[in-house]
Amino acid sequence: MELIQTDIVVIGAGPGGYAAAFYAADLGKKVILIERDPRLGGVCMNRGCIPSKALLNASHVIDSAKEAASRGIQFGEPTLDLDKLRTWKESILQKLGQGIAGLARMRGVTVMHGKGHFEDSNTLRVETAEGQKYIRFEKAIVAVGSRPALPKAFDLGNPRVMTSTEALEIPEVPENLLVIGGGYIGMELGSVYASLGSKVTVIEAMESILAGGADPDLVRPVAAHAKKAFKEVRLKGKVLKMTTAGKQVKVVSEHDGKTFEELYDRVLVSVGRVPNGQDLGLENTKVERDEKGYIKVDERMATTDANIYAIGDIAGGILLAHKASKEARIAVQNIAGEGSAVNRDYVVPAVVFTNPELAWVGLTEQEAKQKGIAVEVAKFPWGASGRALTFDRTDGLTKLILEPETHRILGVGIVGHGAGELIGEGAVAVEMGATADDLAAIVHPHPTLSETLMEAAEAFFGHSTHVHTRKREAH
Amino acid sequence: MDVRLPNIGDGAEGSVVSIVVKPGDTITAGQTIIEVETGKAVAGVPSPTAGTVGEIKVSQGQKISPGTVILTLTGASGGSAAPAPATKPAAAAPKRRAAPVEVDEDDDAPVDDGSEDGPVPAASPYVRKVARDLGIKLSRVRGTESGGRVSVEDLGRYIARLERKVARAGRYAEEPKGMAFEPVNVDFAQFGPVTSEPLSQLRKVIAARMVENKVSLPHVTQFDEADMSRIEALRAAHKAAYEKAGAKLSPTPFIIKAVVAALKKHPKFNSSLNEVTESLILKHYFHIGIAVDTDVGLLVPVLRDADKKSILEIAKELSQIAEKARDRKLGAADMQGGTFTISNQGAIGGGHFTPIINKPEVAILGIGKTAQKPVVTAKGAIEARPLMPITISYDHRIIDGGSAARFTVDLVKAIQEFPEADVTL
Repeated sequence: MELIQTDIVVIGAGPGGYAAAFYAADLGKKVILIERDPRLGGVCMNRGCIPSKALLNASHVIDSAKEAASRGIQFGEPTLDLDKLRTWKESILQKLGQGIAGLARMRGVTVMHGKGHFEDSNTLRVETAEGQKYIRFEKAIVAVGSRPALPKAFDLGNPRVMTSTEALEIPEVPENLLVIGGGYIGMELGSVYASLGSKVTVIEAMESILAGGADPDLVRPVAAHAKKAFKEVRLKGKVLKMTTAGKQVKVVSEHDGKTFEELYDRVLVSVGRVPNGQDLGLENTKVERDEKGYIKVDERMATTDANIYAIGDIAGGILLAHKASKEARIAVQNIAGEGSAVNRDYVVPAVVFTNPELAWVGLTEQEAKQKGIAVEVAKFPWGASGRALTFDRTDGLTKLILEPETHRILGVGIVGHGAGELIGEGAVAVEMGATADDLAAIVHPHPTLSETLMEAAEAFFGHSTHVHTRKREAH
Repeated sequence: MDVRLPNIGDGAEGSVVSIVVKPGDTITAGQTIIEVETGKAVAGVPSPTAGTVGEIKVSQGQKISPGTVILTLTGASGGSAAPAPATKPAAAAPKRRAAPVEVDEDDDAPVDDGSEDGPVPAASPYVRKVARDLGIKLSRVRGTESGGRVSVEDLGRYIARLERKVARAGRYAEEPKGMAFEPVNVDFAQFGPVTSEPLSQLRKVIAARMVENKVSLPHVTQFDEADMSRIEALRAAHKAAYEKAGAKLSPTPFIIKAVVAALKKHPKFNSSLNEVTESLILKHYFHIGIAVDTDVGLLVPVLRDADKKSILEIAKELSQIAEKARDRKLGAADMQGGTFTISNQGAIGGGHFTPIINKPEVAILGIGKTAQKPVVTAKGAIEARPLMPITISYDHRIIDGGSAARFTVDLVKAIQEFPEADVTL
């Protein structure tokens, strides 16, 4: 048995794994990157963030064309060539996948396609197309990610019941689509299908859509828009039973004290995600998992096995690509003995690409209330933004969560068109310890939506140009 | 009124060991309300005034610092009598949150893992990383930017201050080379069954002080023995009279008096070195620290003005402070201001031992168990005599070997020739 020696082996080439592999190579380590898919990039690039945003962009074109009618510009009914849409989307993923492979090559990172399996705390067996390979590593970084949850009761073995993975392939535009779960994946993909022409019904178990951490203030415009774009949003609803009924799916559900028995052409199950890596051979190492299957890590991203680190979704916490990339840096820095990186004291922005977009960073008003942290809230409604008026989307709000005495910006929340792009400034403000005084003093370009951040700070002191609020003393 | 934690001495923070009162209790001024484990000891915190206890605002184990509200008192006789708060209580702070002030006493322990106890202070990620790498707590650094944000320059100024401070202190206590030991972190369970007990705050403080004192002072220890025949005879003769006066006549008051006599003759033994001003401070008072062995650990209450007190007064006070120490009722003030320490293990047993100087004092006396031993007399005969092992550890920066020998000779003499007049009631 031939042993391939390496400093570091990274298992999983998603935004956590390839970031870790590249950074480790940049620090002079010998790195092997293992990926079971033929294409690098992981869920984010192949079955998540990127394809969903490509499709959302396509659906925005349809929406914009419709909205243009009120401005005196008429388009005919759009015709859909799903094959072409898929090919276009695929070409983006292809480009990105090749880009990553190229970057790996330039850095001297060895990419090995196959399934990794730990033999012990120093050895990884990889099942490749060319047979078994054995890697002897100093350190391993597990970045195998997560996959959509498909509860047994919903798993009919029927392709008409989809998770986000299948939905992103747009096999067809169903006439009636049921989305189970009104979280960000359900709302984003529901939007895509609604724009393409499906009648979308959302069943959400909680009292609100996007209940996972978003400020109710910010969810409101999204919920209002969904009400118009979707056929129906049933909150506090429950799916009782699903069965195959010919070319349709029969769904029995409960809402508002009534029982529904309905036929849907397709069902999207978006009730959360579950960690991967059950077949990784972790039982042959000292790595421990929690009861949900996430690998236990300390604040240096080290697992309970001294040679093995874990990052990204598999390490639990919030399941976001940019959080995985940050953890990749922390893990590699600790392995390489550079600095004192720890997995705390930073904020992770969240963006939901609904219509309108919703984004926040740092402390939310709700979280402050729950934790009993005294805060002041400054708001700037987009009705007062000239820029928002120019594209007819005044259903936005920019919110600052401030420390009452120092006016330090503890959190920023934005809902509205392009909120995802705007939140970057919020992240800088929070991480730099900026105050409302700072934000109000910084000149923002006109006419742009970024002004809403400055004006929210000005509104806090009662001297916003475009909204009138009570006065208070600046520092 | 709110009762706040007063300044409790040089351990600026403490943790609540026990809460002695409960809501509804009527308490008097000076009554102990909580016990706080601080840098040096477990100290009772007295109520500044009489009243009825309203709400208790602290919990057992909680870390508190001067200004923390302990409880509320209703029907308080007067709110002004806060027990000597040297630090301004938090309520008196200006409305805007004051940036942390870089206080000298806070600078003593700048190096740790850089983790913050409270919320992350306002600073850029870069400044936070630098601080973390250097093990500096950002909450100790005064930020000068908007909202008290710490800039790179603020961090630089803080580091420069630390360097100056270290340079000043370094002239005396240059960090010994090669002293950076790898901390012990062994899984002993691999060798056999073990149990693990976390160190108490007091034990950590004792440990840190012992290391500091032992490492920073050049110790020399002088050994001798004192013939206790005379003191034993005096004790036997006067025991009954003392008992009538309500005191137990142990050898310790004699030793304290003898020590004071020797200190008077050798003032350097009753001094401290000011390492910053480079001057020797000779003290004209004689406060003798008595090491007391308690369940929680070593405590050193101080018997004040031992030179002005009679054997009877000292005997009575000794039993009081020993009891207070064992009942954990010593206040911080009870343990401050010592000029010389006596560690007496005579009641337990054992011979000579080498005590560690209680810095900033310059010498300490260690006493072992008095035992009958053969002594060759001046006439060449061999006699059994009760000999008490004594050891004097002294700071060799201040005290030369000759001075120490002379001090020891005089101390032994003061013990062996103890004047009866001092004992007679």
